[in-house]
Amino acid sequence: MIYPKKLSSKKGDLIFKTFLISSVILGLLLVIINKLTMPEVPWAALSNAGIIYIWITVFYSIKKNTNIAGHVMIQAIAISFLTVFIDYKLGFQKWSINISIPIIIIIANATMLILTIVSHKKFIKYAIYQLIIVLFSMIPVILISENIIENKVLSIVASSISILNLILTFFLCAKDVKAAIIRKFHI
Amino acid sequence: MKGRKNKKENKLYWRRLDNSAKIFPIAAGRKYSTVFRLSAVLKEKVEPKMLYQAVNLALEQYKSFKVRMKAGFFWYYLEYNPKNVVVEEEKDYPCKYIEPRTNNNYLFKVTYFENKINIDIFHSLTDGNSGSMFFKEIVYNYLELIHKDELKEERSTRKIVENNTEDSYMKNYDKKAKGNSSSKKAYVLKGKKIGFSAISTIHEIIDLEELKQESRRYEATITQYLTAVLIYSIYEANYKKYKYKGKKPIKVCIPVNLKKYFPSKTMSNFFSYITLEAEMKKDNLITFDKIIEFVKEDFKKRLQEEEIIKTMSANVKLGNNFAIKIVPLAIKKLLVRLSYIEIRKYTTITYSNIGRIGIIGKYKDYIDYFLMLIAPEPVEKIKCSSCTFENKMVFTFTSILKDNSIEKFFYEFLKDKKINVEIESNGVLDDISKETK
Repeated sequence: MIYPKKLSSKKGDLIFKTFLISSVILGLLLVIINKLTMPEVPWAALSNAGIIYIWITVFYSIKKNTNIAGHVMIQAIAISFLTVFIDYKLGFQKWSINISIPIIIIIANATMLILTIVSHKKFIKYAIYQLIIVLFSMIPVILISENIIENKVLSIVASSISILNLILTFFLCAKDVKAAIIRKFHI
Repeated sequence: MKGRKNKKENKLYWRRLDNSAKIFPIAAGRKYSTVFRLSAVLKEKVEPKMLYQAVNLALEQYKSFKVRMKAGFFWYYLEYNPKNVVVEEEKDYPCKYIEPRTNNNYLFKVTYFENKINIDIFHSLTDGNSGSMFFKEIVYNYLELIHKDELKEERSTRKIVENNTEDSYMKNYDKKAKGNSSSKKAYVLKGKKIGFSAISTIHEIIDLEELKQESRRYEATITQYLTAVLIYSIYEANYKKYKYKGKKPIKVCIPVNLKKYFPSKTMSNFFSYITLEAEMKKDNLITFDKIIEFVKEDFKKRLQEEEIIKTMSANVKLGNNFAIKIVPLAIKKLLVRLSYIEIRKYTTITYSNIGRIGIIGKYKDYIDYFLMLIAPEPVEKIKCSSCTFENKMVFTFTSILKDNSIEKFFYEFLKDKKINVEIESNGVLDDISKETK
């Protein structure tokens, strides 16, 4: 005998699909119950947003061979969207864009800074996520220019921290950045 | 100090993918793994700890295998992998997609079961020829660790490996050569699939001497003879069985080792392929005698050096096209995956014969035989491969079809010719192994 008796092709797929279908059914059930009981309060939409957020987190953690900076990035973006959605569903009093998103950006950048200082040799692994976080951190600037934000100070602080963070990390790792650019952009 | 320098050099080490390897990570996925497996069936039970040591020793020699795949903006590339290699007991079906995160990002996976050592290799890393060299190194190391005293003197007779990873395609292709691609789609094997991502593996262990004699009767090489038997089996057990009424030919893709045509010592991919087109209806290929005459003729025509260079050069030119080069990887992925569904329809089956696995000296005494397997895929539902060790040639069918009539017909045909064949399988389609034992 040259093969084990029971070969398996990872039951993981089946479990994953079962959970995914269960989530869809649960989401639909919540909408129906919401419509039948308290149609004036959109709690099912909030619950479903929570389910989607959990799935984004789970899917990203399972599927991707991602480093810690990738998780910081995805969490920053996903939580921001979640807060905006909740704010919107509760009458859009703008607390999400005035307070939540700037705070999320500051925390994400602080985390990235700590990561860079603690292990600046790994910066190259974080670079692309750092760049995306910086781009994401520019959203408050756009919102300020469009006069959507009332509390400008917090947003300006958040975006500035993000740019400073990027400059600092580039100074710390200039050589590695050059090598990485050659590798990443070879044709 | 020297250690630190080596560490830094390793950290900075990266290389481009060779011309063939570029396509595999772009097209590969769970359903299309582009993984091949080599196995050595030993005469004694495998000791996992020693095997782990053996793999590490082999990686010290074959540094080009100590890499992981990274995505660039335009292409994937390989870079030094600082993590430890993973050696596990065999649990999954052979030639499955190698999930990087479960394998410390290595592009090969070493597993063992009872007397057998397996290595599954992602095709981007290397081809069957160079893969077998690395695998032999693992087997040699393992046997030396287990049988220290008996193999003490043998060690000195082994060759030192060159860590050459040049892209031999770029060095040898002809810029002026014109392509010779066929526009005809191939007959696609009919039948229901097994499901649950299972892969059936059936090994037909053939007596080499008897096979040689039978091939000689037809003045054919062993590869030609087995290709003819394969086409005949497909014709009788699938094409006729499912009453195919169309005109598509049975097309057999046969990889060709380019090191036989060009001076190259690269450990990267360096292979091309020929595709035989058996027009069953048009050329009235309804008997084995007619099929083998056709196969011999087609081999002769397609294995000419100019033809090989044409095919290779056309592929290199495609990968070298500036317009393709500058397309971002994400878009390349999308385009390649879409077009690959169509491209795959141009082959009925692949048969790869890596030939004799040469094992030196006393090492032979501890090995029963070798196996080679290639991953089947949704369109090419069966793939065939073979390799030879001593007097045993193992012809392997890897399949995702429930119907194993082709495998049975192939076996019965050889038996009718009085060639001794034994069957080993992974038990997914158990009836064939029961019937033939």
